[in-house]
Amino acid sequence: MAACLLPFIVPAVITGFIWSLPGDPASLICPPNICGGTAALAERWNLDGGPMQFFLGWMADATTLEFGNSWRLHQGLPVLELLKEAIPTTVSLISVATLVIMAGAVMATRGWLPRRLDPVLRFVGLVPALVLALAGAAAIELTFGFGSFSESGKLARLLIGAAVLGVADGAFTGAALGTRTTFETENQSRYVGIAVLRGEQPLANTWPNVAPSVIGQMRARIIHLLSGAVVVEVVLRIDGLGDLLWGGTLRQDFGVVLAAATLFASVSAVLLVIQAVLETLVALHVRKAPSGVRVSG
Amino acid sequence: MNRRVPLVVAGACFAALLGAAFVAPEHLGNIRPDLALKGPLDVFPFGTDTRGRSLWDYAAQGASVVAIPAFSAGIIVAIFGIVGGLLRCVGSERVNAMIQWFSEIVGALPRMVVILVVALLLPRDQRSLFPLAWTWAILAAPGAMDEAASVAERLGGSRFVEALRAHGYSASRIFLVHVVGFNLRPVVVRQGAETMMHVVFLEIALSYLALAENQPSFTHADSLKSWADLLKLGYPSLIPSLDYHSGHALLLALGLLGLVAVMSIAIGRSARAR
Repeated sequence: MAACLLPFIVPAVITGFIWSLPGDPASLICPPNICGGTAALAERWNLDGGPMQFFLGWMADATTLEFGNSWRLHQGLPVLELLKEAIPTTVSLISVATLVIMAGAVMATRGWLPRRLDPVLRFVGLVPALVLALAGAAAIELTFGFGSFSESGKLARLLIGAAVLGVADGAFTGAALGTRTTFETENQSRYVGIAVLRGEQPLANTWPNVAPSVIGQMRARIIHLLSGAVVVEVVLRIDGLGDLLWGGTLRQDFGVVLAAATLFASVSAVLLVIQAVLETLVALHVRKAPSGVRVSG
Repeated sequence: MNRRVPLVVAGACFAALLGAAFVAPEHLGNIRPDLALKGPLDVFPFGTDTRGRSLWDYAAQGASVVAIPAFSAGIIVAIFGIVGGLLRCVGSERVNAMIQWFSEIVGALPRMVVILVVALLLPRDQRSLFPLAWTWAILAAPGAMDEAASVAERLGGSRFVEALRAHGYSASRIFLVHVVGFNLRPVVVRQGAETMMHVVFLEIALSYLALAENQPSFTHADSLKSWADLLKLGYPSLIPSLDYHSGHALLLALGLLGLVAVMSIAIGRSARAR
């Protein structure tokens, strides 16, 4: 349900806000003392027919991947071009950061992260993304100097950015400690004890039961990473979607923000769908297994 | 568990934050080029900026920017948490389904994206941290409600309430004292304290990102300085080749962030059950 609604809710809310603010939307987006003839601008931006016309028109265009042009950030450039340039970078950033938190979850589950490290993890988890990103930016400046925008510099920015995203704001700590707690709680169930007595591994028994919870946690953490990408991309000067969204917000470019925010919402919706599919597969697996077990009467 | 130590620490940190906010000067002090970038040993208590103005003014103005909005956001989240826990105790399936729907929608949105959309729509002459802090609180609310509802569930939910009714307890005593006071308190207070901390971090992040692009902040008037200005001032000291002696500003900024983090943890621990 949420997955279906998200890509519509975000532009609808933005449209609603534009019309709920005092003053006419065209002059709000571009004040008359800067733009002059706001009536012509309103017509060009489809703002002259009320919120419903604007929303429906924008959504109809968006379904054909037509997001219009940037209003201020890169005036006149098609927003789709900006998105095309930004998306691969952000996808790489989030993918590597996801690997970092998944590594944390696996290490904690397998017992490779000693418990005496928990206080350290908790402390590191408190550090905000901005502070770690600044440290990362300084490390890049020190290492690459003027060459920090070379190909190797860009790669370093991406990797450091992903590491910052994966560790800051409790991402790694939450993944490691959260997943471990989930498994430990499940391990206390009677069926796990019986499985151990039968000589089986606890993980093989608990995994199907905790998988929906772990999948849900992982989705929430990826959304958290998407949120943090804005700060990391701007501080580390990574030309991704977060940087684009921030630039659009700062310069009040509604064209860019509408498209970027809707894209973020769509990614979130896709993650919800993936979660639902995985949960269904796990449920089917649980229903199917165990095979070959017969209750003797 | 002894709650006295965290209570004292939380109280001291909160008093320091509020105290600094209330005594914050309206404008920074006079420019003194001869005192530029002096350390705390030269100019008490925190040293000076590039124009010889005391960093205390920065710290106090930054506290005035974040203190009340962050506190109000914490209160909002705590209230949402209480409502979530109480509704679980009431045991209405329809209400719980509505809460789950609300949680799914709000929880699925990347928070920073929503914050930026709200920031975009704020009129430039009404810039303040309040709307952003309250938006953050609403985005954090589903988590708090979920956790409080889980606590209420473990407690027995509506069966717990019925049991206390059978003992002749009044509704206010059951819900306010037993459910909220004795059982939900640790969760909602911790969630509120964490939200306070996150709002402070959010303000610093937004202000820093705006500063990095030489743009006005969304969270406060141009005449005020935020703790992000301290970070911006101190950052070049991390690069020795720049020969910029502003490490004291960086340390002060990190110290202030640490103070907020310690306050948040201490508030959470002081609310734990004995």
